[in-house]
Amino acid sequence: MFKDNFNLAFKNIRARLSRSLLTLLGIAIGIMAIISLMGIGEGMNVAVTGELNSLSDTILVNVGEGFSIFSRGSIDSTDEYLTERDISDIERIIGIKEVTTQLVGGGILRFNGEDKAVTLTGIDSDIMQIQYSYENLEEGTLLQANDQNKIVIGYKVAYDYFDREISVDGKVLINGKKFFVSGIFGKQGMGGITSTDDIILLSPRDFEKVTGESNIYSATVTVYDVANVENIALEIERVINENHGDDDFASATTMSSILASIQMVLGIIQTVLVAIASIALVVASIGIMNTMLTSVMERTREIGIMKAIGATNKDIMVTFIMEGMLLSITGGLIGILLGVFGSKGVTAVLGNIGPSGSANLEPVISLFAVVLAVGVSMVVGVFSSLYPAWKAAKMSPIEAVRYE
Amino acid sequence: MIHISAVIVTKDICKVYGSGSIKVEALKKVNIVIDKGDYISLIGPSGSGKSTLMNVLGCLDTPTSGHLYIDDIDVSTLKENQLARIRREKIGFIFQKYNLIPTLTALENVALVMGFAGVENKKRIIRAKDLLGQVGLSHRIHHKPSEMSGGEQQRVAIARSLANNPSIILGDEPTGNVDTKSGIAILKILENINELGNTVIIVTHNLDLAKRAKRMISIQDGIVSE
Ligand SMILES: Nc1ncnc2c1ncn2[C@@H]1O[C@H](COP(=O)(O)OP(=O)(O)OP(=O)(O)O)[C@@H](O)[C@H]1O
Ligand SMILES: [Mg+2]
Repeated sequence: MFKDNFNLAFKNIRARLSRSLLTLLGIAIGIMAIISLMGIGEGMNVAVTGELNSLSDTILVNVGEGFSIFSRGSIDSTDEYLTERDISDIERIIGIKEVTTQLVGGGILRFNGEDKAVTLTGIDSDIMQIQYSYENLEEGTLLQANDQNKIVIGYKVAYDYFDREISVDGKVLINGKKFFVSGIFGKQGMGGITSTDDIILLSPRDFEKVTGESNIYSATVTVYDVANVENIALEIERVINENHGDDDFASATTMSSILASIQMVLGIIQTVLVAIASIALVVASIGIMNTMLTSVMERTREIGIMKAIGATNKDIMVTFIMEGMLLSITGGLIGILLGVFGSKGVTAVLGNIGPSGSANLEPVISLFAVVLAVGVSMVVGVFSSLYPAWKAAKMSPIEAVRYE
Repeated sequence: MIHISAVIVTKDICKVYGSGSIKVEALKKVNIVIDKGDYISLIGPSGSGKSTLMNVLGCLDTPTSGHLYIDDIDVSTLKENQLARIRREKIGFIFQKYNLIPTLTALENVALVMGFAGVENKKRIIRAKDLLGQVGLSHRIHHKPSEMSGGEQQRVAIARSLANNPSIILGDEPTGNVDTKSGIAILKILENINELGNTVIIVTHNLDLAKRAKRMISIQDGIVSE
């Protein structure tokens, strides 16, 4: 009997091919949306996790609230800084491999006869390479170990601050001292962990030379054993806060805590996106119901004939539910294929036009997502054909002999 | 029951369509007894109630009042699923308009009813081919109804009505839509089935064809007489 039901359902779908295809398209689009959004979300997760895991031995120490994706940008101006004593206290903590510092202060940038007040960041070249990787550069290079009188500037500094654009190897004056531009960051805009658009990076030595100060804005600490990283971070906070007599003076943030908050946000975004995509499925389900109801109406006579020759209500219901499932599962499978290719396409496009760093974004289609999609389309098929099938089963065999 | 050999017994069957001023009494206290192995033709003018009676006998429609006994079972008390079973196992119905499933081939149409009865797929195909051979359609088994003539479709419908080995064959003007020659061919098939011991009841407008039956029942304004 299964074979008959399948055969009947298949032939009915084929007999109304264009209508069936349109109905099927609805399901396919819904499933495609879910699959590709889940895939891209998972891909983002993997990319972020991979990138941050490579920095899992690193702790960022800075004054104030700490380094979080909720408070953007690291260049919040503050009057308080870490002291030399803080740094040497950190260095004394057991398990620490290296401590490097970032200096922050104001300065005047002169170019093309114009002056602009800017924030300067003094940073060791090797730390610069970890925190602001080469991939983020639009042009030029980051600073090398012994570079002098060279700076790396943000996108806005180069293109928006002055009437004329600053280019690589261009000459500028900072507090009256001559500097050459070594590299320019790409436009970052929204998103991204630290905004580089307004940044001016120079070596700590040059920083002291032009500002006469050595305000330590933040320190980057690496540890020997990743397993201890959380405990060491707590210890760093305790030591610095004790030095300044303020429980909230500084914060030490590990990459894994940043990772956790990023993953949480990604999770929320993914859930919301999938929920929105589910609306498409609800609409598709209504589409199936509509198609099936029309089909039941058109086949009043055929249903009557089947009952007249001995079909039970159950036989009729199964035939129609089978038809609904056939439509939705076919749609679901097409949707999965479209979703797989679609998410690859979307990430390829994002990699080209999006902020740098998303270039290595690869969608991850999990087995779970595929099983879920098949399951959901089966449920949608059964659910949306239940009512039409019941209506069909209710028909009387006398319909077979009633003339139109 | 009183009649040991009766397969169909009707008791005061009435069928009323509509209500109030548009009420139509299509059957008025019909009492007939049909013996096993009988071959009956039902005749009467248009609108006299022939189809109504056939539909009631075929369990497609329920009488407004009265009782119908098939093989001593009081059919009027049965539920939907039990009725479906009677239709499937005891009755083969041949319609004037063939009523084949348009999307299925001749073979599939015949095999389908055996599917409702739960017959295994291989056996169904063998029997369906055999039946289609018996009605002379071995060369048409993979054709759809729309690809066959009226007479051919009616022969498929006959093969279908015989598929589950029913003891009662009901034909409401089975020859109504085909020419005289095909009509006689169709009747000959039904007469063969009758000779095997099955009960055959047909409705016809053609008196010559009606006279071939063992017994003629006529109906006028919902009242039967012999
Ligand atoms: N569904 C219905 N609703 C109302 N009246 C009906 C219905 N079906 C049949 N009738 C009426 O019942 C009467 C008997 O109809 P029936 O179809 O049994 O006649 P018939 O003898 O088969 O006629 P024909 O030879 O034209 O097929 C007719 O007066 C018809 O108008
Ligand atoms: Mg009639």
